[in-house]
Amino acid sequence: MLTVKNLHASVGDKEILRGINLEVKAGEVHAIMGPNGSGKSTLASVLAGSEKFTVTSGEVTFLGEDLLPLSVEERARRGLFLGFQYPVEIPGVSMANFMKLAVNERRKYLGKEPVGAAEFLRMMREKSAVVELDSKLTSRSVNEGFSGGEKKKNEIFQMAMLEPELAILDETDSGLDIDALRIVATGVTKLHTDRNATIVITHYQRLLDYIVPDYVHVLYKGRIIYSGDKSLALRLEKEGYDWLINEYGE
Amino acid sequence: MMNPDEILKSGLFAVFAGGVISSDTDISRPLLLLDPRSVDVSVERTDSEVVLAILHTRTDESGVNITVGEGARLSIVELYLAEAFSEVRISQRVSSSCRMVCAELCGANVSYRMNLEGEGAENVLRGLFVASGADHCTVNIVTNHLVGGCKSDSMVKGVAFGQATGEFRGLVYVAEDAQNTDAMQQSRNIQSGGARISAMPQLEIYADDVRCSHGATVGQIDDEAVMYMRQRGLCEEEARRLLAEGFVNDIVCRCDVEPLRRIMEERVAEKTEGLR
Repeated sequence: MLTVKNLHASVGDKEILRGINLEVKAGEVHAIMGPNGSGKSTLASVLAGSEKFTVTSGEVTFLGEDLLPLSVEERARRGLFLGFQYPVEIPGVSMANFMKLAVNERRKYLGKEPVGAAEFLRMMREKSAVVELDSKLTSRSVNEGFSGGEKKKNEIFQMAMLEPELAILDETDSGLDIDALRIVATGVTKLHTDRNATIVITHYQRLLDYIVPDYVHVLYKGRIIYSGDKSLALRLEKEGYDWLINEYGE
Repeated sequence: MMNPDEILKSGLFAVFAGGVISSDTDISRPLLLLDPRSVDVSVERTDSEVVLAILHTRTDESGVNITVGEGARLSIVELYLAEAFSEVRISQRVSSSCRMVCAELCGANVSYRMNLEGEGAENVLRGLFVASGADHCTVNIVTNHLVGGCKSDSMVKGVAFGQATGEFRGLVYVAEDAQNTDAMQQSRNIQSGGARISAMPQLEIYADDVRCSHGATVGQIDDEAVMYMRQRGLCEEEARRLLAEGFVNDIVCRCDVEPLRRIMEERVAEKTEGLR
């Protein structure tokens, strides 16, 4: 589904990704961990197409297509979803209006008719239940006045509405209390099928109790220095990153 | 969009040529002043709120003098669909109230002069302008607190893009005897591309026991929000349009005369199309 080969990316003169290699297949869950500043969020942003970063070399293919020439929205319409670490508040733009436009862009790309009013309402109801998002929130402005937990639930709600092939969740667990974490993580698990894939970026093993990863990668100074299975996350939780950095870091 | 003819034919409004609005006046429908040149209006009934719609569809000069009598309540919705040069002067008597929603949807020059001359008078103004292309939108607001115990609250939101310019000039004047004045005046703006908005709010206070605040901001379209919306599949133009529309949306929502609110919504959407 996603193949990343020797990806390098910079902001200004500063190189942040220094040769990422990653292969994600349909049905898989990958966790990306690593110390602060290792480039995790940058990797997510670069894959989503953020223009803040410049890809200096490397290749990325998504669903058989060269991803790098595509704009942010073209990637989104093809089924690449980024769950933001800090979802943005958009005053005056209703969730319903926003989601309808987003859903229809995706459908247009897939060659489907725009969603009808009744079906859309049914979808909104059904999908908000996945993350126990108060349906009142869906009639408000996007993220405006939402609590931290509600914003994160809202990200997963949008993911449910858009049914992406690949979801990259950037620290979706940060700032969540125990109950919200369980709800959000269970939501992600419910959406997982053998046709889609998920990359979760996290600092904590706790999230991975719910979203069980097939692979855990450790990112350090812009490179994946080590990959393992879910037991790696447990070991990192106990022992930290030093043992890996000493052995595989620069 | 409804054009002036359709509005007249719709039967949703009662055409009004100015004069006294008394308890004999039929106010079951909003009263409509269409392209007023020079009109005096006096609201003398106190039993229920009078709704006055003012519509500018011609490039023309316009002057409207409104007196809101003791205890009377007036709601004004004013739409500028042409480059009018307009002044609205409002005198408010004891315990009167006047709430206004004004939308400048082309490069007009509009002035509001509010005289709060009877104790306990209240004035709330919500305005917006959307300047595109080579528009130049000007809004002047002067609120005169001439006696004590009155309340005023004005907020104007402006959006300018393309090569357009916008200008907000505001003054809150509080006379020496106007103690216990409560006055607020705000100008909030976003500009995009080569557009420029200038905002000059001013206070002139001669009384000592007052609560007055004013503020002005000129910002840009939030790039983070554009990125967020694009990540959900919306193109950049659409994201910017929605943000601009969303920015003035709370003002539009204040309009409770439905056909006019629809015109505002449609016109704002039209003007923000292809926003860069």
